[in-house]
Amino acid sequence: MSIVPLQSPSRLSVSAPSLLLAGLLTFVVACAPESRADRLESAGLKARPPAVGGPRYGGHLRVGHSLEPTSLDAILGRSGADAYFWRQIFDQLVDADPQLNPRPETSLATSWEIATDPDSITFHLREGVVFHDGTPFNAHAVKANIERILDPATVATPRASLAVIEGVEVIDEYTVRFDLAGPWGAGFGMLADRGGVMSSPAAIEALGADYGWSPSGTGPFRVKEVITGTLVHFVRNEDYWGRDEHGNQLPYLDEVTVRVIRDETVRAAALRTGEIDVTYLPYKDVSTFERDERVRIETMPGGGIALTLVFNVDKPPLDDVNVRLAIAHAVDPTVINRAIFFDRAIEADAGMWPVGSWVHEPDGERPTYDVDKARQYLAKAGRESGLEFTAVTHHNPLLVSSAEVVRAMLKKIGIHMDIDVLSSGPATERFNHGQEYPMFITSWSRYPEPDWMASLAYKSDGYYNPGNVLRPDVDELVELGASLYDNEARKQVYIELNRTVLGEAWFTPLLYGVTFAAAPGRVRNLDQLMGWDGKMNFATIWLEE
Amino acid sequence: MRSFLARRLLQAVPVLLLVTFLVFALMLAIPGDPARAFIGPGEALDEEQLQLIRERHHLDEPVIVQYLIWLGNVLQGDFGRSTQNMRPVAEELGGRALVTLQFGLAAWILAVLVGVPAGIASAVYRGKPIDYAATVVSIGGVAIPNFWLGIMAIRLFGVGRGWLPSQGYVSLFDDPLQSLRHMVLPAFALGVTSCALIMRQSRSAMLEVLAQDYLRTSRARGSRERTVIWSHALRNALLPVITILGLQTGRIFAGAIVIETLFGIPGTGQYIVQAIFARDFLVVQAAVLLMAVAVLAANLVTDLACAWLDPRIKFGD
Repeated sequence: MSIVPLQSPSRLSVSAPSLLLAGLLTFVVACAPESRADRLESAGLKARPPAVGGPRYGGHLRVGHSLEPTSLDAILGRSGADAYFWRQIFDQLVDADPQLNPRPETSLATSWEIATDPDSITFHLREGVVFHDGTPFNAHAVKANIERILDPATVATPRASLAVIEGVEVIDEYTVRFDLAGPWGAGFGMLADRGGVMSSPAAIEALGADYGWSPSGTGPFRVKEVITGTLVHFVRNEDYWGRDEHGNQLPYLDEVTVRVIRDETVRAAALRTGEIDVTYLPYKDVSTFERDERVRIETMPGGGIALTLVFNVDKPPLDDVNVRLAIAHAVDPTVINRAIFFDRAIEADAGMWPVGSWVHEPDGERPTYDVDKARQYLAKAGRESGLEFTAVTHHNPLLVSSAEVVRAMLKKIGIHMDIDVLSSGPATERFNHGQEYPMFITSWSRYPEPDWMASLAYKSDGYYNPGNVLRPDVDELVELGASLYDNEARKQVYIELNRTVLGEAWFTPLLYGVTFAAAPGRVRNLDQLMGWDGKMNFATIWLEE
Repeated sequence: MRSFLARRLLQAVPVLLLVTFLVFALMLAIPGDPARAFIGPGEALDEEQLQLIRERHHLDEPVIVQYLIWLGNVLQGDFGRSTQNMRPVAEELGGRALVTLQFGLAAWILAVLVGVPAGIASAVYRGKPIDYAATVVSIGGVAIPNFWLGIMAIRLFGVGRGWLPSQGYVSLFDDPLQSLRHMVLPAFALGVTSCALIMRQSRSAMLEVLAQDYLRTSRARGSRERTVIWSHALRNALLPVITILGLQTGRIFAGAIVIETLFGIPGTGQYIVQAIFARDFLVVQAAVLLMAVAVLAANLVTDLACAWLDPRIKFGD
């Protein structure tokens, strides 16, 4: 039996679909608003513009950044990278310069007095400042903000760093006193970070859980639009109180869009094609852009620790200080820098407070590359025949390659190291809390306040102290460092702490990072882009026409 | 028909329960303390805060209890808030699903518009250069992974020529032209594999139909070749193609995970990848549920479409 053919409901000529598609594609491509050459020119990439007079108001800065924010509410953010976003929205109670000296002229507190017995700090606040929602900034707002952080139910990230605050007293409209459990020299550094960020209490109350994406600060920019995972669009805060050194109102820019571009190659390409105006460069692209005279590069040495070995001093076989020192002496940072970091990182000459930090002090006694010494330490540990262990690192091509080189270097002294590669969250957690690995090959962010590192990584109960070995001498130093108000005295404490941390190889930093910010010449004041913590700050950036 | 639909919908329930429970259990099986996964590396919470997170998210309860709590909330329309960015999951996922749908649809349309005619041409001109060319292209399309095609497309048309934007997304409602321009490269990268499969399937189905007696009869009756192919052969050849198209829904969702990350598109694929790394249970659960529903719905629509095309297919009662 033959099958009766079915009638097609419609008839199309053979070429129609392909014609339609070709037409669509041609239309889309042809309708490009401007040619590539036009875009290069409009992005200022044609040639380095001549230096002209003062800053110009207006313009839209387009920024490429690798990570999206976890929240725009600074105290609820779960990632250090959030600062690229919230720094535009908020001001801190106490701002700091790159050396972490308090800077009253850019702070919400114009002056302060420190009292001892009982310990307290009284802040005198800037008058006439308003939040983006129009409510005034005053002592009540400061009290509400600090109490919000200290309330465990908020689950605020900076809570631990403000734990010394026992209470906040409003003295008058523009005076507020922090009552402290003890002296708090670290306080100014902590308040310059997100612990000192001031949000509008009225907006927090009105928006509840949604405040995180509709924040209201006193900072130079307001949030206009957030497309999660894609971009945050800021517009100028017309009522901003900040002024430049000539008394001109800040910010200069009308708009800033921070676009999330995860892939570093694509990010660099976007800078080249003029899709973005500013981005931080990966090490591998620095040389290319240095040769491009249309682009200017600003560097920040010591933008974090690019590579460090972190040890769990309680986990065999690295619970023996001699084994750890053998490893610390067996690794050659020069080779790693040349082979993997394009010779752009800086070889570590001190501890976990890198070049650029006010507590950085080159330490001639820290372990340096010396294979003979490494073998001696191994012999001292009774491990001449070698040993085996598994280290962990995370999915970052630079770290994974570095770990491979470290493995090869350790093999020379008879140590066989396996490497587990995990994503960054699980790697950090399983090393620090799961006690699963004796060594972590990782990088470390730049935290200018030294107590941040000391309290979290050196103190016995520190969140990032994997062994949690009780060391009363170290704990005492950490507490002393956090309490002293005199910076020179504090620095001596941290140098002393480094002797233990480096001398007993808790940490062996190998390379300090360098941050490279690149932009076409029309982006001005690029040298002011990187704040004291290396995060971008657009308040004083301006664009040439 | 009605009882067929009812039965299919009933069958979907255990599938959805099983899929969501398995994913839930797998997420919990990841070693480590999920409360600590709430914060990124370099950040710290104290024990009091960690305990509060455990209580709020019932992390201390047995897996089955946690699952039932989640299920109860979902049945009341409450998908919870993401632990990564504290946004309501339903709202966020809804917005992102539309983005993925837009790209998925574009890829799908591209695959059909190119794949079906090319497959037919390849069959009609069997053994001719056009057939060889189509075969080479389709084998390449199946063999080349779409992330590589995506990177090449970015390098060639985005960075190299500057013809098309290589990053980001513009809503069709905000700026239709820019939206289309942003869609071209990712839709191409996402659609090529499906297009190649559809091309292969159309070709073999068409070849089979072209050999049937009724077409010879039709030609003998003096029908024009165009009528023979487009009116008589195509509709019969389409059945297996439609089945393949239905199966492509799952493939497009899977491909979106890579392509969205590559092109910086804020869709469900990118969202689920980040959520898995951050152990954002509620997001992963909701996204898996959405994908499972989408795949089941696509299969159902495929069955209905096949029945519509071929009345001989009967819905068993």
